[in-house]
Amino acid sequence: MKSPGQSSTSSGISPIWNWRITALCGALLLFVALAAVSFGPINLSFIQIIKTLLGLPGGLTGQDKTVLIDLRLPRAILAALVGAALATSGAVYQSVFRNPLADPYLLGAASGAGLGATIAITNAHGNVYSLLPIFSFVDGTLAVLTSFFISGRFFAEPQSLLLSGIAVGSFATAVQTYLQQRHSSSLRPVYSWILGELTVANWQIVTWSSIYILMAIGILILVSKQLDGLMLSDEEAFSLGINPNRLRIIAVTAATLATATAVSASGLIGFVGIVVPHLVRGITHRVTNRNLLTIAFAGAAFLVLADLGARTLLSPAELPIGVITAFVGAPFFLVVLRKRRTFSR
Amino acid sequence: MIAIDSLEVTLSGKKLLSDISIEIPDGRWSCLVGPNGAGKTTLLKVLLGTAPYSGSVKSDGVEVFRNQKRNVAFVPQQPHIPQGMSVAEYVALGRSKRDGWGNESIASRLLISSILEQTNLYGMQRQPVTQLSGGEMQRTLIARALAQEPELILLDEPTSALDLHHQIDVLNNLQILQAQGVTIISTMHDITLAAMYAERIIVMREGRVLVDGPSESIIHSPQLKAAFDDRINVFTLDSGRPVVVARKDELER
Repeated sequence: MKSPGQSSTSSGISPIWNWRITALCGALLLFVALAAVSFGPINLSFIQIIKTLLGLPGGLTGQDKTVLIDLRLPRAILAALVGAALATSGAVYQSVFRNPLADPYLLGAASGAGLGATIAITNAHGNVYSLLPIFSFVDGTLAVLTSFFISGRFFAEPQSLLLSGIAVGSFATAVQTYLQQRHSSSLRPVYSWILGELTVANWQIVTWSSIYILMAIGILILVSKQLDGLMLSDEEAFSLGINPNRLRIIAVTAATLATATAVSASGLIGFVGIVVPHLVRGITHRVTNRNLLTIAFAGAAFLVLADLGARTLLSPAELPIGVITAFVGAPFFLVVLRKRRTFSR
Repeated sequence: MIAIDSLEVTLSGKKLLSDISIEIPDGRWSCLVGPNGAGKTTLLKVLLGTAPYSGSVKSDGVEVFRNQKRNVAFVPQQPHIPQGMSVAEYVALGRSKRDGWGNESIASRLLISSILEQTNLYGMQRQPVTQLSGGEMQRTLIARALAQEPELILLDEPTSALDLHHQIDVLNNLQILQAQGVTIISTMHDITLAAMYAERIIVMREGRVLVDGPSESIIHSPQLKAAFDDRINVFTLDSGRPVVVARKDELER
């Protein structure tokens, strides 16, 4: 070894977080969102959309303006929020559970929310969709809290919490299946919701979901650098100045809040939480959680694009967005798995 | 100085450490030796502040688990190796607290670069840590600890995964740190190397400290032999250096 202080470079190593890639993903999101609100059964001009949004003269009027403001814009924003929430939560779960294949639905949030939605659909009379988000949010959160409760004092061990999540998820799925069998007439709306849908998007859903999702993502970005320490053993994390137990609770709570909100607003949209974080890590050659903002932008762009595909590929019919994300996500998942095996050899 | 008084550690009803009262001086290299299960790693975790204990373990007059300001680096024997993390990211984690959990300062990036060169890792900074050999990983762990610029560095068997050449590399590097005033506490199975580098040796067995003191006197002490059931021999080379070897049991025929 050489003596300390000797260095062959004048600027040191390159920064771990590259803000240029984050800015690029932000710009990509804006472009994709613009395309999403532009294309559809009625095509709207980019220039007119921008003028309308900025309140400049020469913007859209009449029916076109209604299509933009009341239909496409809330839908695109909701897709962006849900995509950002799922991608960010996925990246955080992967760090907390030290498992690159962990996804945001791991602790029972998805199964719990699925059960909540089934209860709402099978029991509600009248407007089901006003109750559905509340039921799925409450049940999704309850499922995650139950996972914490079951793992008891072992919540600090990622594997114990993960196993509790699997048990709670299986139980919720079993109850959900039982309810579906008892109310076979509601099978179709339940499955439609399970595959994910953004057709219900309106400004009210956008407003309340943006509060929870942006707050959760903000918290996660604040602790993002410390989250890198959770990928090490607890002793190593402690020596770096991190309280691993406290950080794990903060991270899982914020990620679950984001996930439960996303699920309750849009149903179960799979694979975003796995595909997007790995894509960003592959492009940046970094696994650091300081890429969380990049991952949030990329997740938002991915889901806005997927929703555009869902709306336009079989137009005028609409594909469930979960079909599009799974179509891209499943092969990608296998590639990650294969790469992981190569790594561990 | 770290002052340990009547230290006891019990886990699931099993006593791992009992009745330990020693003082570990600052700026010195102290080495914990003893057979497997002696409690060396547990004592390191107590000194780090992560293992619950009864008694008192004070660093600069404050109990170690309460002292949040301490800058202690820890090099575990079996680290958890994050999938896909690059060598540069891994080493940069050591600067995180100093840089306020934000972006690395230019000074930090220069220091990391210098440490990578010092530990023969320069040029490997983009390589995933999962693809490193045992020796390279150990050097990466040491590099991360160096990046912390710690006041105390705790190392659990830092040379166990290394060939002789890299063992000397790592130990020489630690010796440079110690010359800069950093306190080093390590566990080591190779007692010859422990005597060569550490200034103090603490001999442990079954959760107790049998003896501690300057390496040159401890190496010839009967307590060291007793710790290993009298199954070691200590020789002195012409240069005056002690060599500790396992004694071969004579089988009855």
